[in-house]
Amino acid sequence: MPTLISDYRRDLEIRRYPTYIYFLVPLAALVIQAWLPRVLGRFMYMDLPLLITIYFALNRRSPIHGTVLGAILGMAQDGLTQGAIGIHGIANTVVGFLAASVGIRVVVENNVIRMMMNFMLTLLSSGIVAVVVRVLLGLDWHSNWMDELLRAAGNSVIGAVMFPLLDRTQNRD
Amino acid sequence: MESFFSRYRNLIVLAVALLLQVIGLAVQVRKPSAAVSAAGIPHPRPDGPGVLLIRLWATSLVTPFERTIHGAGQGLSGMWTRYLDLRHTQQENKDLQATIDRLRLEQAELHEDALQGQRLQALVKFQQSYAYQTLAAQVIGTSGSRQSRVIYLDKGTDSGLKPDMAVITSEGIVGKVRDVFPHAAQVLLINDQTSGAGVVLATSRIRGILRGNAAGQPQVVNILADSRIKPGEPVLTAGGDQIFPRGLPVGVVEKVERDAERGAFINVIVKPAAHLDTLDEVLVVTSLEAHLSKEQETDLAASEDLKGPEVAAAAAAEEARKKAALEMEQRLPGLTDPNAPAPATVIGPDGKPMPGPPPIPKPLPVAHPDRFSPGAAGGTVGTAPTTDGAAPAPEVAEPKETPKVNPKPVAKLNTPANSAPNPAKTKPKSPQFSGPRPLGRVQ
Repeated sequence: MPTLISDYRRDLEIRRYPTYIYFLVPLAALVIQAWLPRVLGRFMYMDLPLLITIYFALNRRSPIHGTVLGAILGMAQDGLTQGAIGIHGIANTVVGFLAASVGIRVVVENNVIRMMMNFMLTLLSSGIVAVVVRVLLGLDWHSNWMDELLRAAGNSVIGAVMFPLLDRTQNRD
Repeated sequence: MESFFSRYRNLIVLAVALLLQVIGLAVQVRKPSAAVSAAGIPHPRPDGPGVLLIRLWATSLVTPFERTIHGAGQGLSGMWTRYLDLRHTQQENKDLQATIDRLRLEQAELHEDALQGQRLQALVKFQQSYAYQTLAAQVIGTSGSRQSRVIYLDKGTDSGLKPDMAVITSEGIVGKVRDVFPHAAQVLLINDQTSGAGVVLATSRIRGILRGNAAGQPQVVNILADSRIKPGEPVLTAGGDQIFPRGLPVGVVEKVERDAERGAFINVIVKPAAHLDTLDEVLVVTSLEAHLSKEQETDLAASEDLKGPEVAAAAAAEEARKKAALEMEQRLPGLTDPNAPAPATVIGPDGKPMPGPPPIPKPLPVAHPDRFSPGAAGGTVGTAPTTDGAAPAPEVAEPKETPKVNPKPVAKLNTPANSAPNPAKTKPKSPQFSGPRPLGRVQ
């Protein structure tokens, strides 16, 4: 009985979106992420595919959805680089799973919580990328952690603006 | 068992997703991802078919939108600048009109010089510049990742691009083509950590490998500490990597840092000549063989034509110089003018001839003439022997008696055959020769 009640409450809190949103928004994130550096140059302190992964994982509250979406978006990011396929895939997979797992337990409508989660999960993603590159691939990879902190902060700010806009696209029953 | 899967399905899905990707990574890095050439320059191995397929999907998914955004951005920018952003246009128009008036005056003066200068400048540039076959391409996107310094071009295999082609701008090198798709190409920039290019420092001639660091700056690595390397030293491509033509500008030395892991080595941070963050158009070197276009061949023919008048002008100048030198020789002091009129006999008030100018000195006849003696060859010198050196009056009135002097005395005196008229050389100790030398000044 408690399980049923829990599932029922969770189902009530799950946000659903039109199907095309699941294709258009990640695609737009990939395109903009690939195009904006031409405008912003080295001040590109954001990771839109990661933000989209976090957003849908938080709001869908399904670790499986978050895992799959993170894997797909991460591998698509890797597909645009010269590196091995799977570096960002693993990072986004873990982030999607964790975001969905946390989304079940906390109130994710609060903007402060969203910003904190974006900040922490972005740092976690950077850490996972560093581990994958150095440990799994054994490559000599140097990273600037100040840049990673700025990227996490940028993701927090952009998420605070973007998430309410994406909230408007959800299905209203 | 069923309850186990249903209970832990989230973790199972996560584990499966991670496992698949880790296996995929293991497959990709089964072999070293970058082969190292004899020169120590890494050459990335081509991707496997599965990996290439994922890249093809990702690229095919993203590049059309990037192309659209790029075109729309240019259109909007043009619309804004041409039709909307017209503030201060009237004032600018007046200023431009005034500038045009001033420039027209200057143009009239500089027109001829400018034409000549442009021709010569174009000629020199043509002679000094490389003539590699290149293809212009537009940058339509990037990798979107800070760890991956990659750009995408709007040309691909349909335009003849191939992997490992050099990508340059007029300022310097940009990178090399890594992957080529039908309508797009991926270019690995020189400031990526996995890139590699053979370079040489222009002044110190130290060779090294250029690659990017974590901050996105290209640096020359694996070189020993050398005090000759100074900031501002140009860095050029060495040409040994078979990708970049030799001698292309890479950038200048920005600073020298000691390698943190290996104390004896230094990293030379290079400020790239090309603006890698704001690339719009690039050139892809499609062939390392020199190729002359029709226009270049026309320019070459024009340059050959220009050489004709230049050679003729140089020959005319040389002829004029020789003529001037000849005239100068003829006007040297001590020479007689063959065209000068004969001196007239001066009649005194008593009806008798006045004494003329000083007599022409003549050497005394030698006691034992030989072939070196004056007049030995049938000349007129010494035909009127005198004892005091004073010439009689008729000799003054008859210029034919004046000893003829060689118009090129210096040149001929240096030759043994013409040294005969100089008795000082032939008979320096002759007691009978006391008069002045025959090559004295003639009035």
